[in-house]
Amino acid sequence: MITGHRTMATSHEIKALQTAPLLEVDCLKAYYKMQLFGVDREVRAVDDVSLKIDRNEIYGLAGESSSGKSSLIKTIAGAIRPPLRVVEGSVRFSFKDGERDIYKLSPQELSAIRWSHLSYIMQGSMSVLNPVRRIKHAFVDFALPHVNVKGADFTNLVERHLKRVHLDPAVLQAYPHELSGGMRQRVTIALATVCGPEFIIADEPTTALDVIVQKGVLLMLREIQQELKSSILFVTHDMAVHANLTDRLGIMYAGRLVEEGRTRDLFKRPLHPYTAHLISSLPRIGDEAPKKGLEGSPPSLADPPPGCRFHPRCPLSIDICRREAPPLVEILPGHRAACHVAQADPTRVEAVL
Amino acid sequence: MSPNLLDVENVNKIFARGGIISRSVNHAVNNVSFSLAADKPEVFTIIGESGSGKTTLAGMILNSAAPTSGRILFRGKDLHDVRSRRDRLEFMSHVQAVFQNPFDAFNPLKRVDRYLFSAAQTFTECRTTDKVEERVDDSLRKVGLSLAEIQGRYPHEMSGGQLQRVAIARALVPNPSLIVADEPVSMIDASLRMTVINLFKKLRDELGVSIIYITHDLATAYYISDRLIIMQEGRVVEGGDARTVLAAPQHPYSIKLREAVLSVEGAWRDEPITEAMPAVAS
Repeated sequence: MITGHRTMATSHEIKALQTAPLLEVDCLKAYYKMQLFGVDREVRAVDDVSLKIDRNEIYGLAGESSSGKSSLIKTIAGAIRPPLRVVEGSVRFSFKDGERDIYKLSPQELSAIRWSHLSYIMQGSMSVLNPVRRIKHAFVDFALPHVNVKGADFTNLVERHLKRVHLDPAVLQAYPHELSGGMRQRVTIALATVCGPEFIIADEPTTALDVIVQKGVLLMLREIQQELKSSILFVTHDMAVHANLTDRLGIMYAGRLVEEGRTRDLFKRPLHPYTAHLISSLPRIGDEAPKKGLEGSPPSLADPPPGCRFHPRCPLSIDICRREAPPLVEILPGHRAACHVAQADPTRVEAVL
Repeated sequence: MSPNLLDVENVNKIFARGGIISRSVNHAVNNVSFSLAADKPEVFTIIGESGSGKTTLAGMILNSAAPTSGRILFRGKDLHDVRSRRDRLEFMSHVQAVFQNPFDAFNPLKRVDRYLFSAAQTFTECRTTDKVEERVDDSLRKVGLSLAEIQGRYPHEMSGGQLQRVAIARALVPNPSLIVADEPVSMIDASLRMTVINLFKKLRDELGVSIIYITHDLATAYYISDRLIIMQEGRVVEGGDARTVLAAPQHPYSIKLREAVLSVEGAWRDEPITEAMPAVAS
């Protein structure tokens, strides 16, 4: 219904695109470059990250604060401002109507793909919605320029879409403060999905919500993803959410992707000691074994440790970890990890659990 | 018989809104009672979602707000009578607080050690610089830090986990017997969270400090608490031994809360949505 305005590609091209991954991030380096009193300073927030996201897939991204996950998604969305700059690498999308390299587009082309092809669900629903305007105005402001319907048709489209996210269309007349936190978050999800985008970036959409509400919102997000057949890049530090929602999972540590694979494989058999720790330290109801915290603190990205960035906190670190940064290589089928120890012997990491 | 450490007796807190014509009341805390024994330090957990009144209750235990009705007794003394500066200082040296976001709790323009020094000067008998530093170093060592590590540093130079441990060290300076921790780990990264949680365990076991742990996270509550209460809209809907309650909740709300906890095993992954449409607030 809303794809009509897109220029249709030939069937041959569509077939070729359908097999290609929707998003390809290739050796991406994005640094914050600053000059303070004539001294150059750079913070390597995204350092040599490569990943692929397929169609109809929920890709999870986990990592602690200041691990560079927010910088990475901003770079992928093409929403970066100085001092954050892309130093190297590319971000390519294969949308249904053609391939786009985010950093070769003009600002007009970039804003044309926003919302209709690429949308963003933000964390704080209260800061997305204007507190002094009704919800319907948010839909008009965000979505109307990206669909080719107007007036009553647009209202119909929005109302039909609100029912999909389990909201009463009466919310359109409400002000943000009249809605509960869960409903506001549903509204922001509805805003991001109303144009049927192919790629959705969700930045901690449920972190601020209560447990019971969170479950409902996550289920709804999955349902709408399956309906639209779009892909979601889902960012959160909550491993339990990843276990329940995502198909594949990438773990970031200090600006680098350290492990990636199918979520179930990662939980069953983590190959990086950091992932192993994240999973084993999760408290569970019914499990009374003592859990250990990780020693040390996350490294500063302005001055990361040499070699593997995890080595000062790693229980398995060996001599080579201090000197050489391990590459992210496939160790088991479809399961990549950047760890010298795991590359030599994948069973070693399980021993720490 | 010596009095209990803390008695909360039929406490209510009512916030009124509006004027004479359009008056509405918000019953934030509704008839809550519990007590903590003086001779047995424990981790007492208050579980509730946002709006359940758990933070209001914490504010009343810290004597920063007065209950509308009911009494809170600390060592047999009604908090209502703790009014004079001397009494308040005396009370605060026994009951300390740790808050949710350590980056909000510390002023970014102030060095973190100043908080510790001023706590030592206000609440303890230490007057000379040496004594104060010794006292501060002592409580920092209890949380696995030292004065040498944090002296002269600003909040932005430290990680969330370190800063939260400094906040706990600050609370420990006067040797309190009760710490009220309001969501102390929800802003902390996963790899550091268990360090802070284990620290609370250590405080209970080694220093004999009772802890009121306020959270919405059932998994960490299960991990550290001895007893807990579950609050919904100001009322206590269920309470008792933590393991028993969380293993087999009885009240419908507790059951719902327990079922909403995401397990790592991914139990509801392919479950269909059965939830009804939420109604619009009028």
